[in-house]
Amino acid sequence: MALFLIKRLLGLVLTLLFAALVIFLVLEILPGDPAAMMMGVSATPESVAALRAELGLDRPAAVRFLEWLGGFFTGRLGLSYTYRVPVAGLIAERLAVTVPLSLLALGLAVAFGVTLGTLAAAQAHRRADLIIMGMTQLGLAIPNFWFGILLVLVFAVGLGWFPAGGFPGWAADPMLAFRALLLPAIALALPQAASLARITRSTMLETLSEDYIRTARAKGLSRSQTIRRHALRNALIPVLTILGLQFSFLLAGTIVLENVFALPGLGRLLIQAIGGHDLILIKSLVLFYVATAILVNAVVDLAYGFADPRLRVGRA
Amino acid sequence: MNPAWRHPSFGVGALLMALVLGAALLSLVWTPHDPTAMRIMARLRPPSAEHWLGTDQFGRDIASMVLVGARNALLVGLVAVGIGLVFGVALGMLAALYRGRLLDEAVMRSLDFVFAFPAVLTAILILTWFGPGLVNAVVAIGIFNIPVFARQARAATLQVLAQDYIRAARLAGLSRAAVMRRHILPNITGLMIVQGSTQFAFAILAEASLSYLGIGTQPPNPSWGRMLNDAQTYLAAAPHLALVPGFAIAITVLAFNLLGDGLRDLLDPRMKER
Repeated sequence: MALFLIKRLLGLVLTLLFAALVIFLVLEILPGDPAAMMMGVSATPESVAALRAELGLDRPAAVRFLEWLGGFFTGRLGLSYTYRVPVAGLIAERLAVTVPLSLLALGLAVAFGVTLGTLAAAQAHRRADLIIMGMTQLGLAIPNFWFGILLVLVFAVGLGWFPAGGFPGWAADPMLAFRALLLPAIALALPQAASLARITRSTMLETLSEDYIRTARAKGLSRSQTIRRHALRNALIPVLTILGLQFSFLLAGTIVLENVFALPGLGRLLIQAIGGHDLILIKSLVLFYVATAILVNAVVDLAYGFADPRLRVGRA
Repeated sequence: MNPAWRHPSFGVGALLMALVLGAALLSLVWTPHDPTAMRIMARLRPPSAEHWLGTDQFGRDIASMVLVGARNALLVGLVAVGIGLVFGVALGMLAALYRGRLLDEAVMRSLDFVFAFPAVLTAILILTWFGPGLVNAVVAIGIFNIPVFARQARAATLQVLAQDYIRAARLAGLSRAAVMRRHILPNITGLMIVQGSTQFAFAILAEASLSYLGIGTQPPNPSWGRMLNDAQTYLAAAPHLALVPGFAIAITVLAFNLLGDGLRDLLDPRMKER
């Protein structure tokens, strides 16, 4: 078990390092002169030279790479070129929007997805199942950002129940801040809930055909008791892995939805950084996203082992 | 009647698909108006006899833009799936052939790595070189598709390789390359088409997202995602602008998803009822 964990950790560290290397190569080495690229065609040679000095581009690439990596631990990631403030501070500040948004969406997706999927499996091939499966097809087909726009149209522009966008901050009024995140979280959760419902239904159907389910029924448990006490826990194990895979779609989704609702999160920061050719900021943001996706998948992989005793390594 | 058409997913999917394809083909020869022509005097008009779906903030005809958008979406899907299919199937088959050896590990681990980059982020990285545009969006989505096809192709190839007739073919003197071409490829084609249909839907959604963010299709080329971005600015004044492109995306994605589901059932009856 210990050896397995060490191997996995080593693989994880290597993957993260490689991801950082790819991002560094693509954004800082391959374009040739990042300083010229950031300033655009109208820049004077003097200003480009000044930026080059500020970025430390005269130093060897390997040194810059290691410094950048170290920055993730010391918080020294350089100054954003457009905002003129430390990148680490910007990222930390924006996390207060992106993390709650992702968690809220994830919670909604799991709650609705698992419930609807279980319901569909319990009612397999009957009307409720057909309706739920039809809904999931729509949920998968509707682009989440369009759903967000529609929610704004109905609940913000039409009914005025929710703000159309923007974020008041947690400090001023946590309730208002939560309300600002609710519509984007619902939009973000839609495709995730749809695909979770489909997966839950199919693993649940598989579980329901197992012998121990028949035993539970035979000893007198009702159908819903059987599902709650015996089937659900087993059916959810494969759902857990899918959740890990889906997390990268969720992250990508926050980038889009934060822009739909003008939320000051990491995704909006990223798109603004692209608009301002702020390579310093883009570099750290992209690595932050990719590292999060890789880490979450690794954690889910391990959790999978703990959730299913049969898969615990070294104990087979 | 061919039984395939009676399969509900396949039937509805094919019908919607015909609708989208028809719109795309029609846009090649005819649109109600020039989709790029601006008429400042006729901005943000509601639907009328002249402009069936109204006009946008530059007075461009929405119906014409949606028709041309269908062409754009199908082209994106075709190229993105093409990239994923060609490289993914080749790499997946290669990995399967060298199963358990270093090459297999190297190929599959690098693909896992590619898969860890969400398509949006890959597009952003590519954009540093080429600037925002349709090409980098399509390439990014295509790259994201490669590991998806490769994993499926590897698993399917391994399954076929285990069959007795493959050994017979090898004993009969067929080279590995010939076995791959004559026996493996035809056997995994069905599965790849099913996956292709799903990835087609994904590609259209991804391009719409990227274009909405302003890093996909660039104006004046009409793109449904881009139209939704424009529409959001005028949501209170002209809500109809936000409806049509969204419906267009949803119908197209639904078509490919249903078609994929239907094909999977039809190709492998055992998968039904799952």
